[in-house]
Amino acid sequence: MNRLTFLFAVACSTSLALANDAGEFSNDQIAFFESKIRPLLVEHCYECHAAGSKILQGGLRVDHRAGLLKGGDSGAAVVPKQAAKGLLIKALRHEDVKMPPKGKLPDSVIKDFETWIAMGAPDPRAADDRPVRTIDLEEGRKHWAFQPVTDPKPPAVGDAKWPLVPLDRFVLARLDAKGLKPVADADRFTWLRRVSLDLTGLPPTPAEITAFVSDQSPQAFETVVDRLLNSRAYGERWARHWLDLTGYADMMGTSNNVFAEHSWRYRDYLIATYQKDKPFDRFVREQIAGDLMPAETTEERAENIVGTGFLMVGDVEIVEPDKAKLEADHIDTQVIKIGTSFLGMTLGCVRCHDHKFDPITIPEYYGIAGMLRSSPSTHKIPFGVWSILNSTELPETPEQLVTRQKLEADHAAKLTGMKTEREKLEGEKNAVAKELAQLEQATTSATSGNSNEATKDVAADQARKDSLKKRRDELTGQIQRLGPLIQHAEFFQSKVPKAFAMRDGDHPADMPIYIRGNPYAPAAVVPRGTIQVASWDKFPAIPAGQSGRLQLADWIADKRNPLTPRVAVNRVWQKLFGEGIVRSVDYFGTRGELPSHPELLDHLATRFVQVGWSQKKLIRELVLSRTYRLSSANDVDAVQVDPDNRLLWRTNRQRLEAEAIRDSLLAVSGELIGSDGGPGLVLEERENCGDLVQQGVNPPNYNHRKPRPQQEFQRSIYLPVMRTNTINLDRIRNQFDFVNPAQIAGQRSQTVVPTQALFVMNNDLFRKRAKALADRLLKETPQADARLERLWLQALNRPVSDEERVIAKSVLADLDAAISEPNAEVKEALKWHELCHSLLASNEFIFRI
Amino acid sequence: MFHPLNCSRRGMLQSVACGFGGLALADIVHAATSPHTAHFMPKAKRVIFLFMAGGPSQHDLFDPKEFIRQKHGQHIDSPLRKEVTQVGTEKFLALAEAAPVKPRGESGMLISDLMPHLCSVVDDICLLRGVSTDNPQHASAVNQFHTGVFTEVRPSMGAWISYGLGTENQNLPSFVSIHAPGVRTYGSGFLPAAHQGTPLTVPMDNKTLPIENLRNVSSSDVIQRQRLDLTKRLNQRLIDNLQGDAQMEGMIQNMELAFRMQTTTPQLVDLSKETQSTLDLYGIGGGKESDRHGRACLLARRLSESGVRFVQVTMDGWDHHGDIRGNLPRLCRQTDQPVAGLLKDLKARGMLDDTLVLWSGEFGRTPWSQDLSGTAPINTHGREHQPESFCAWMAGGGVKGGFTWGETDHMGYNVINGKVHIHDLHATMLHLLGIDHTRLTFNQVGRDFRLTDVHGSVVKEILA
Repeated sequence: MNRLTFLFAVACSTSLALANDAGEFSNDQIAFFESKIRPLLVEHCYECHAAGSKILQGGLRVDHRAGLLKGGDSGAAVVPKQAAKGLLIKALRHEDVKMPPKGKLPDSVIKDFETWIAMGAPDPRAADDRPVRTIDLEEGRKHWAFQPVTDPKPPAVGDAKWPLVPLDRFVLARLDAKGLKPVADADRFTWLRRVSLDLTGLPPTPAEITAFVSDQSPQAFETVVDRLLNSRAYGERWARHWLDLTGYADMMGTSNNVFAEHSWRYRDYLIATYQKDKPFDRFVREQIAGDLMPAETTEERAENIVGTGFLMVGDVEIVEPDKAKLEADHIDTQVIKIGTSFLGMTLGCVRCHDHKFDPITIPEYYGIAGMLRSSPSTHKIPFGVWSILNSTELPETPEQLVTRQKLEADHAAKLTGMKTEREKLEGEKNAVAKELAQLEQATTSATSGNSNEATKDVAADQARKDSLKKRRDELTGQIQRLGPLIQHAEFFQSKVPKAFAMRDGDHPADMPIYIRGNPYAPAAVVPRGTIQVASWDKFPAIPAGQSGRLQLADWIADKRNPLTPRVAVNRVWQKLFGEGIVRSVDYFGTRGELPSHPELLDHLATRFVQVGWSQKKLIRELVLSRTYRLSSANDVDAVQVDPDNRLLWRTNRQRLEAEAIRDSLLAVSGELIGSDGGPGLVLEERENCGDLVQQGVNPPNYNHRKPRPQQEFQRSIYLPVMRTNTINLDRIRNQFDFVNPAQIAGQRSQTVVPTQALFVMNNDLFRKRAKALADRLLKETPQADARLERLWLQALNRPVSDEERVIAKSVLADLDAAISEPNAEVKEALKWHELCHSLLASNEFIFRI
Repeated sequence: MFHPLNCSRRGMLQSVACGFGGLALADIVHAATSPHTAHFMPKAKRVIFLFMAGGPSQHDLFDPKEFIRQKHGQHIDSPLRKEVTQVGTEKFLALAEAAPVKPRGESGMLISDLMPHLCSVVDDICLLRGVSTDNPQHASAVNQFHTGVFTEVRPSMGAWISYGLGTENQNLPSFVSIHAPGVRTYGSGFLPAAHQGTPLTVPMDNKTLPIENLRNVSSSDVIQRQRLDLTKRLNQRLIDNLQGDAQMEGMIQNMELAFRMQTTTPQLVDLSKETQSTLDLYGIGGGKESDRHGRACLLARRLSESGVRFVQVTMDGWDHHGDIRGNLPRLCRQTDQPVAGLLKDLKARGMLDDTLVLWSGEFGRTPWSQDLSGTAPINTHGREHQPESFCAWMAGGGVKGGFTWGETDHMGYNVINGKVHIHDLHATMLHLLGIDHTRLTFNQVGRDFRLTDVHGSVVKEILA
C-alpha cells in the first residue's frame, strides 16, 4: 500500500471509532443539539469550517462530530464531557483564538455549548471523513519538474553556421520560431571582460587582454576559459555563489555576536571543491552525510566531515531558552535549506500543513526532519541559557599533527612567558609593598622622636616612598594588562582542528509530526523518508542505529532524481546568463516559473550527469557557446517581441555583486593580495574578543575592532560575515545586495538606490583604490598619452576611444585649473586620482555587459 | 526619462530612486508609488513608531500588581514550562515596581511617576496591556516585531506600508528609520527596493554624518563636480551604445540625486532654526539627558510633516537585567520628554488625528527578579525578558484616547483579557491606514505573502 493512503486510512479508522458512539445519545440530548447548537454552528462557523468552505481555516471542520473531536491543526475542538479541555469553548470565550471572528457570542450561548459538551457532545450528523484536499501523487507527478529528465535531440535551425555547441541550436530554434534573430557577437574585449568576471569575479589584466586579442588561433577562446577555470579565483567566486544557499556567517545565530570560530573551514572546503571540480553528486552527498561516508585518506575523511557544515552554518537562535523549540526551529531551517538548495522545493510550509500548491505532505516533511532530529546539531552549554553548534575534531595527517603541535608548543611557551612575567611582576610588587609598609612603619616611629637626623631621614624616606608608590602603580597596571592577555591565550590554547559538523546521535529514530510545527503537540510518528513525488522507487530502509542522512544524500544525488540535476544546471546558467532557464531558481514547484527552454534545460541536465556531474565542464560548454558570445546591445525589433529577453536574442547585462565590485577595485589598483583562506575572524587579537569567561552568562563573543592588515586587500570571500553588520569592511556588501546571512537565496537582487551612488562617489573603498591606481599609473607609465591608454585598458578593459581621449585631456585641464596645489608632482597625482575615481565610479566598471 | 528601449520589467521595478532630493523627482520615483490603493477610508495617513529596544518593564511603568508588591523579595511560584531555562531567576523572587504607578488624567490611566511628561498626555493615548509575542530573545523578537516572522528574512512593516500606500512626497523616501537597530528592521525583503527604509543618524557633532558617505571626498565641490561630469559622460556613452538600460539609467539619476543629497540632507537634519520653545518642548539642549532622543523625535515630526509614511525612532537601553531601580529612571529621563513632546507637538499642529504613533519594545519583562550574581540585595535586581505579556501604547490616527485595553493575571504574566499579539498589532495598524491586512500581499515563489502571514485580527475595541 502506498504510504500516503495508509496514513489516511489510519486517520479514518480512528475517527470512525469515535463516530460510532453518536447513536448512544438520548432524543432529548439530540434535540438540545438540534435546537441550541447546530443552528449556531451553521450560522457562525460553516463559512470557514465545513466541507463547502472556500478555504478551510486551520484544518478544522465543525460540520460533523468527528471533525469537532479530531479538531484542526491546533488540536481537538471538543473533548466530550470536558468543556475546559477542547479549544471550542476557549475560542468562544475569546481567550486565545477568538471565534467567531466577527464578535463574541452572548454568554448564554456559550453556556449552551458548555452544557452540550457536558452531555458528551451529542451530535447525530453523519461521519464524514473525506479529507478536504487530498494529495494526488499521480496527478502531482505530471508537473514538468517531477518528470524524469529527458535527452532531447538538438533541433534543426535555419542558420546552421551560427551554433557553436549543441545548446546554441536549442536557443536559435526558439528564436527562429518567433522570427527573431540574435544580435551580433560582442567584440573580443567585451567577451573577455564578461567571461573573466563571470568565472573569477575579477577583470582581465592588460596583459591578458593583449594576449587574447592578438591570439588568432581557433583555440583562443578555449585557452582563456581553461586558464580561468584553472585559477584559484574561479574557486573563490563560485564558492561564494554556493554560500548564498547556506546562510553562512562567522557568527552562531544573530544574538550577542557569538563567534563561530570554525565556520571558515566550510568556506575553504567550498573553494577547494570548486577549484578541484569535485563531481556535484559527490559534493551533495558530502554536505548532507559526509561524516557517514567512507574515506580512503585522512584528508578525505576531514573533508567529508567539513562538508556537512552545509547544515550547520545558517542562522540559529542559540539563545532560545526553550530547547524543544530551538531543536524544531533549527531542523526547520535545515529542511528548508535542503529543499531549496538541492531540490528547488519550498518545504518550510510543510512543517505546519500539507503544501498548498505542491504534492508534498506533512509526513514527508517529518520524514526528512526525523533524519535531522536523529543527528542533533546543537547542544546546551552547562551554564546559562545558551546552546552552541556541535563541532567535530578533524583527523590530522602526521605532518599536520607535527605542525599543530609546534603551534601549540609555541603558544604554550608564549603563555608560560606571560605567566612567568606576571609572577615576576607580582613578586616585585609584593617586595615593593613590603618595603613601603616598612617605611610607613619607620616614619611613624621616627616622627615620635625629634632629632635633625630624623628630619633628614624623613625627607629621604618620603622620596623613596614616592618612588616606591610610583613603581607599585606601574606594576599594578602591567599586571592588570597581562590578565586579559593570559585569559585570551588560555582560551585559545588548543589548536586541534575542528569543524562545525553533523554526526548521528545516540538514538536515531523516526519522529512524530508536530501539529502546527509545535514540538509540544506531537501526533503520529512517521517513518523517515523523502518526498515521494520526486521519487522513482521506494525509499531504502534505514539501517538500525543510523540517522538516514546517507540514504537521503544518495537519493538527492541520484541521477534519476528529476530535480537535482535540473536545479543545479539552472543555477549555473543563471550565474552566466543573468536569468535562469527557470527564472525562479530556488523554486521549481507548480507555482514557480516555467522553463523558457524546457528541452535545453533537460539537454544540459543530461549532459551534466553524462560528464560526471562536472561543473567545470558544464561552465566551459556554456561560456564557449555562441549564445554567451552575443552582444548585450538592444535590438529595436526583438525588444517589441520579447522585451524581457527570455529567448536570449542578446546577452543580459548584470550589475556586479558587492564582492566582484570590491575585488575588481583591488585588482585594478594593483593592491589585491592572494589568500589560502583560514579564519575570517581575527580572534588572535584580544580586543576583538569580548568576555572569554567559560562560565559566564553569555558565551564568548566577538567584536570586529581590529582586522588583520592584509584583510583590507584580500578578496571579499575571506572577510568575516557578521549577521549584525558591524564591520567597516562590510559596508559595500551592505549597500550592494549581499544576501542576508539568514537567507537562502540562489539569485541576488540588483537594486538601484541613491545610497549606492553616495558609496561610489565618496566611500573610502573607491577613493583609496582610485588613489592607488593613479599612483601606480604615474609610476609605471610616465608618458601621459600612454597612461590614458593604460588606464582605460586597466579599468574598463578596452582601448580608449579618440573622443574619450579628448574628453579626458580636457577634464585633466579643468582639474588643473581647479586644484590649488603648488607642488607640480603632487598636483599631477591629485588630477589623476580624480580621473581614476571617475572611471571606477562609471557604470562600465560596476556592470558587466 | 527612461530610454525608450529599456526593456526589463524587473529592472524598471527595481531601478528606483528615493532619497532626499531637492528637485521634483516624479519621473524617477514613480516606482515607489504603490500598486495598491487603500481598501477603505483610512484614519491615519502615516505612522511614527517609537521603538524602545531592549524591552521596557511594564511592571514598573504601566501594569504593577498588588500580589507582586505584597510578595516583594519573597519566593513566588514559577509559571514557566519546565523546558524553559532562565538564568539568575532561580530564586523566583517577586520584585515590586520601582516607583509609584498612579492614575493620571481624566481617564485615570495608570502611569509611573517615572514618566511625568507622559502623564500629561494620557488622555491622548491608548494603552495596550495585553501585548504578546512569541520569542524571549532580542534578535528574534525584534525581527518578529518588525517583519512578523523571526526566522526567515521578510519585508519590514515600514516597507509593507510604503508598498501598500506609496509615498506622500516624491522628494523623500517613504520610510525612514532613525537609529535603526539592524538591517532587517528596515529591509524590503522581497518587495521592490524602493520600499526599504533609509537609515538615518541624528548627528550630535560635526563628525557624524546623517547618512553614510554623505561627505564629498574631493577637495572642493568644483573638483567633485568635474569628476562626476566625466563619469556621467562615460555613462551616457555606454547607454547610447547599448541603446538603453533601465538600471544604468537609474544609477545615473541616483548619482545626481546623491550629489544634491550632500547639501540637502544636512539641511534637513539641521535643527538650528527651530525655536527655543520647540527645542524645550522636546527636551533638546546640550547636557540634557533627553537631548539625543529629543532631536530624533523632533526630526521624526519634521519628516512626518513632509510626507514620510513611516518614520521609526529607536531608543535603546531598556534591557535591564540588573539594577532596574537605577537604570529605568535614567531611561525614562532620556525618553519621556521627547516622546510626550512629540505627541504635544503633533497635536498642536493638528497632525495627531491622522498620524498613528506607536510606542513599544520588542517584549516586556518578568514580574520576578533577576540577579546574575546570585548574591545582590533585592533592590538591585533586574528583570528577565517576558514575551508572554507586555505593554505598548498607540496614540492618534483613529485609536481611542485615554483608553486602556487588556488585562494580565494576578502576577502580570499571562494575558487574561484583551490579548493583542504582534500579528494583531500589525493588522490593526494596517487597518487604521485603510489597509485590509489579508489583502496586502506580494507573490513570491508561488505564494502570496502578508505582513501578518496567516494570522492577525484587527483589535476593534481600541478603534475610535
